[in-house]
Amino acid sequence: MEDILPIRLVHLLLHGLTALLVAPLIPGLINKVKALVAGRQGPRILQLYYDLAKLIRKRAVFSRTTTWVFLLGPIATVTVGWVAALIVPFGHFPAPIRFEGDAIFFAYLFGVARFLTVLSALDTGSSFEGMGSARELTFSALAEPALFLGFATLAKYSGSISLSGMLASPQFTLSRVMAPHILVLTAWFIVYLAENARIPVDDPNTHLELTMIHEVMVLDHSGRPFALVLYGSSLKLLVLGALILGPFLPRTHYWWLDWVAFFGALAALAVAVGIVESIMARFRMNKVPQLLLAAVVASAFAFTLLFA
Amino acid sequence: MDLALILSAMGCWLAASVLALTRLPGGRLYIGLGLLGAGLALGGATHTLIHGQVSQMQFQFWGAAVCLELDALSAAFILPLQVVVGLGCVYASTYWPASTPRTGTFVRFFYALLATALTAVFICRQGMIFLVAWELMAISAFFLVGTEHERPEVRRSSWIYLVSTHTGTLCLIALVVLLFRHTGSLLWSGMPTPGTHANAGEIVILLVAILGFTFKAGAFPLHFWLPGAHAGAPSHISAVLSAVMLKSGVYGILRISSLLPPVPHLGGILMILGGITALYGVACALAQRDYKRLLAYSSVENIGIIFMGIGLGWTGRALGNPWLAALGFGGAILHVWNHAFFKSLLFFGAGSVLHATGTRELHALGGLGKRMPITTLAILPGVMAVSALPPFNGFVSEWFLYRGFFASLLHDSPWWAVLAIFALALTGGLAGVAFAKFFGFLFLGEPHSAAAEHAHDPGPSMWVPMAILGAICLFMSLGSPLLLPLLDRVVSVLAPGSPELLAAGLGRDLSFLSGMSILLIAMGAGAFLWLRRSHSVPERPGTWDCGYAAPTARMQYTADSFSDGWSALFPMVKTRVRRIRAIFPGRTTFHTGFQDAVGDAWLAPRIDRLATRLLRFRRLQRGYLSIYILYILIALVAVFLWMLVRRRLLG
Repeated sequence: MEDILPIRLVHLLLHGLTALLVAPLIPGLINKVKALVAGRQGPRILQLYYDLAKLIRKRAVFSRTTTWVFLLGPIATVTVGWVAALIVPFGHFPAPIRFEGDAIFFAYLFGVARFLTVLSALDTGSSFEGMGSARELTFSALAEPALFLGFATLAKYSGSISLSGMLASPQFTLSRVMAPHILVLTAWFIVYLAENARIPVDDPNTHLELTMIHEVMVLDHSGRPFALVLYGSSLKLLVLGALILGPFLPRTHYWWLDWVAFFGALAALAVAVGIVESIMARFRMNKVPQLLLAAVVASAFAFTLLFA
Repeated sequence: MDLALILSAMGCWLAASVLALTRLPGGRLYIGLGLLGAGLALGGATHTLIHGQVSQMQFQFWGAAVCLELDALSAAFILPLQVVVGLGCVYASTYWPASTPRTGTFVRFFYALLATALTAVFICRQGMIFLVAWELMAISAFFLVGTEHERPEVRRSSWIYLVSTHTGTLCLIALVVLLFRHTGSLLWSGMPTPGTHANAGEIVILLVAILGFTFKAGAFPLHFWLPGAHAGAPSHISAVLSAVMLKSGVYGILRISSLLPPVPHLGGILMILGGITALYGVACALAQRDYKRLLAYSSVENIGIIFMGIGLGWTGRALGNPWLAALGFGGAILHVWNHAFFKSLLFFGAGSVLHATGTRELHALGGLGKRMPITTLAILPGVMAVSALPPFNGFVSEWFLYRGFFASLLHDSPWWAVLAIFALALTGGLAGVAFAKFFGFLFLGEPHSAAAEHAHDPGPSMWVPMAILGAICLFMSLGSPLLLPLLDRVVSVLAPGSPELLAAGLGRDLSFLSGMSILLIAMGAGAFLWLRRSHSVPERPGTWDCGYAAPTARMQYTADSFSDGWSALFPMVKTRVRRIRAIFPGRTTFHTGFQDAVGDAWLAPRIDRLATRLLRFRRLQRGYLSIYILYILIALVAVFLWMLVRRRLLG
């Protein structure tokens, strides 16, 4: 049924629209959950759209220390998000572009965004931003092995090293959720929190620059570049969310129901992040590597379990 | 025909070195000869790679058969060699001109000699001649490393280099003898019979080869000579040493292994060695505060990655799995190329910075992006390539290796494939930290000292080679599907019987990959234009920095703090802090330094102790000629007696 051309086109259209438009909803949802748990009313769910519309019209301020390198970070954040959205499947329909080995490309794409964001931060010459970038690079270097060991597990399981093959394989049903998958989900959820700069690794709402990681690196951005930064990080929430949800989505008999399940799962992920943020405090900086190593160990166990 | 091109290229380089020696004012002629040599050799190597024909030459020399041969494997190493030495020759015309007092002609002479010797190493197929070329290469490199011999640390590192390279040569002499006893001929030719596995003698030969060539390649734990030697040499020399000369060790290992049948399990061991080398090298690179040493340690890391590829190729060969062998060898060769290009680019860039500021300390620099905009733009592809980031070439070869490890994982899931994936992922992440430090603290922010204040871009003869290399780094990634047939030729030398696997098996995926890279660049360029179209506030205030009104350049984050988060994990970094006591503490001190775990911490004290013990033999050295003649006489008599006794004993 899915091979019929019109349905395929509908899928592509839905995929594209989701990648372009849905992303800013996720931070809105997370913030709403946090506000509700804290007993506040909180900003609207659509708040980020309004922020983006406002920022695009504003003029940017550039420090006299900065050069053209300062613009690379925001640009890379968004372009990488879009390119990654092209190769990650949303739900059970294979991504628009898929080839063997695209999982490796996917992981290194986010490396590009991180590297250029760090260079942008260092371009300001600010001590706080240098501190933030050192932490960001350190923590993500530790998150990388966890991501790859998870890939190894899923590749072994599905026989493919393409994201579409790993995550949206047609023979998958609900019964495949077993111990290795649960361990990979655990590990990747930690990676998700670290990569998206959420509690307990980083606190996006902190007011003290000394304790920030990701937020402090974009302190000097304003106007359109800052709009790109905000939009890009919401894209990252969406794309990495699609990655970690992929193996665990139940598969239904109707394609439209699969999409509903995907959006439902995405919303559930946002709620979960919001709840984690509400009930936990940020870890001390020197405890964060331990958390990330726990993710590495969990995914290593997942791989070992495949042979048990 | 192709071999004739290579030989005439060697003739050009030799002529250039003679020209340098004559001290004639032929600066342009020297560069012209160098470029002509590079062009001729590139033509020959490319033609061989495209058509895959072997061109050979055999003749008698002093009664021994000598064989020169150019096959795809040799061509694959001559290609990056000639690009780098050719561009280095142009770069040096400003960086280290002939008019440099005392060392100008000296460097030019040995540079051209090194180019000749390296080319010869790659085409000699006879043990003795190979050793001669190898020694010529090692000795010219020694003199080049010691160019600034008036500085004690350069003198020291050039001696360490000389001793290490000769220890390696000792193993190679043993290798030549063993191979001679094994095959009955000094010629290195012929293929092993397919389907056989190596016997004990062949395993010993391969192990001796790995030991000897690893000294040159600089893999852990035999890397200790490398950072000092590569950092202390003039930058265009460092580029040649790091980008090409290390690869002669890789070439040697590949060449000898192609003559012998595969050895089971050795591939896995080499992969572990490579993984350890890569992680160790990148960890040390992270801890450096001298940006040229950082680059040198990153070469150790990349040799590790190449070794991982070779290990995978050997495993594929031993298992009779041509697809694994093709991915491993193909990835290793591609990384040899990529590393040659991005590392020479980085060393040229480092040379420009050194030229402009006169310091090798990361601490003293910063803010060069405004003062040296061309260098900054030209070096960025190299920085991203060495961190294995798309859309540059370093990523493509690592993608090859990941493909190989995942393929073996899906095939029979050996434990080493998982370890290799882990090591490669962590190496990539750490390389990102090291090179964010390199680029960030050289080019971004405000200058940390007066040295960087007045820096300016070098002339076109220095930045044009860098721009060319940067463009190569980009186009080797975007055009990577075009390289697959060339890699197939090389793989067919290393693992016979697997024709055209890469082009058939990877062509589609790699086209997608380069398409995605082009998309990434196009979207990035679009976003850049969109940002430039917007209005910005005309006046440019200082960096916001949490509202602090009077920041100074010294308040910026430093390169040491940047990598400090890792120092707890690395035993190589030694920190000394005096505890702060009392309510009004006095002055306190903080000292942090780096010690190489093998060279400085383990080997140096032992060598010192050995040297003290050996002092007692000094009394044998009286300095009188008559005593030495006596020694010779005693030695002769001893040999004579041994001959007599041996007759008697052994019948």
